[in-house]
Amino acid sequence: MKRILAMALLCAALLPLSSHATVDDAHSFAMEAAQPFVNEGFIVREDYWNGEVKSGQKLMVKHQLFKGNEYAFWLGTANDGCTLEIQVLDEKGNPVQITPKVGVGPMFTSVKVNPPKTGTYSILFSITSKTEKGVFWALAYGYR
Amino acid sequence: MTSRRSLSLLGLFSVAFSSAALGQGSNAGVVEVTSSAKNFPGYVVDDVVVPVPSEIFSVLDKLGEPNWRQELRNLKAPETTDRTRLSLVFGSVVAEGFIAVQAQDKKAVEDIGREVIDLSKSLGIQKAVLPHANAILDASKSNNWPAIRKEFDLTQKTVRETMEKMKDNDLSQCVSVGGWLRGTAAVTSVVGKNFSADRAELLQQPMLVDHFIGQIGKMPGNTKNHATVKAILDGLNVIKEIMTKSTEAFTPEGVSTINKTTGGLLELIDGKP
Repeated sequence: MKRILAMALLCAALLPLSSHATVDDAHSFAMEAAQPFVNEGFIVREDYWNGEVKSGQKLMVKHQLFKGNEYAFWLGTANDGCTLEIQVLDEKGNPVQITPKVGVGPMFTSVKVNPPKTGTYSILFSITSKTEKGVFWALAYGYR
Repeated sequence: MTSRRSLSLLGLFSVAFSSAALGQGSNAGVVEVTSSAKNFPGYVVDDVVVPVPSEIFSVLDKLGEPNWRQELRNLKAPETTDRTRLSLVFGSVVAEGFIAVQAQDKKAVEDIGREVIDLSKSLGIQKAVLPHANAILDASKSNNWPAIRKEFDLTQKTVRETMEKMKDNDLSQCVSVGGWLRGTAAVTSVVGKNFSADRAELLQQPMLVDHFIGQIGKMPGNTKNHATVKAILDGLNVIKEIMTKSTEAFTPEGVSTINKTTGGLLELIDGKP
């Protein structure tokens, strides 16, 4: 009985750790997507967004962009076989021209954007898995 | 960073039933979309990544050749144990670090690196900050400016995460506010010296100002009623009004007012009379 209890406690203790590591994996894949951009002179911000979300659920972050900079957004996931989508909208909700899927891998996708004005933009994204109900994600960005 | 920006699946599902999504940070989470985004059946990640000053500086560099050395301030840490002020100062000192990188001023970077260590001691977060401060000092020896800039970004991130782990979310926000004020003071100074509509447009940041006003509004009473924080709130409202009036274009007077407002608040933070 004590052994079962100990095993249960161990599993409970390990559960959040494994979950945390998986979210970190999503960020690692976003950084893998960023690497070719770094070689092109992009500066990667250390701050980023991440979490866990229902497969296919659209999410949006609002972010300040400055006209004159070129931005890249890198979306990574820790789940295999997903479809990743990113879109950038201006303050009025209209799509901004992006260079889509400039760096795509099985676990990440990227877009580049030259903001036409300085202001608040919305980054819309989703990760859809054929097999998982929930997916881990991380969205990072850089500029040059 | 990971914990602060975490958005849990459980939190996402529960948002329909409760306004408090289950993020690990106090403000992490999601809200149902109410924005102008058309046909968006999704959720807004209720968190803001504040740009570092370098993001704006890089545009100013493309539009001209600002004299960044001229923008550097002499550092003199306030003799205080007031953690709210120390957090505001910390943010402003890290922003000073970004200016020093832009100026490629090795001595300034070293002074700022040492100041970061002193402030982290006063705030009781030296253990978390020291590796970054040492990395800044090491990189300055080889004039590795990209590495120094990365470490300043990491320093701010680490400090804010450490404060949030210590349940000092209000102090974490003070670090962000202090950094933004210093960055904006430098930008308005550069723009004011060589005004153009393109340069001034960089000040169009109402979402960030709203974010800071909102964060101050959520602070506990003792922080919210802190004299310096109250003055910052007043100053942010002044800046917001100018931004609202300047959606088409900023005037030189508007830029000057933002510069005076941010400069005055920084003097208050530093404890200058």
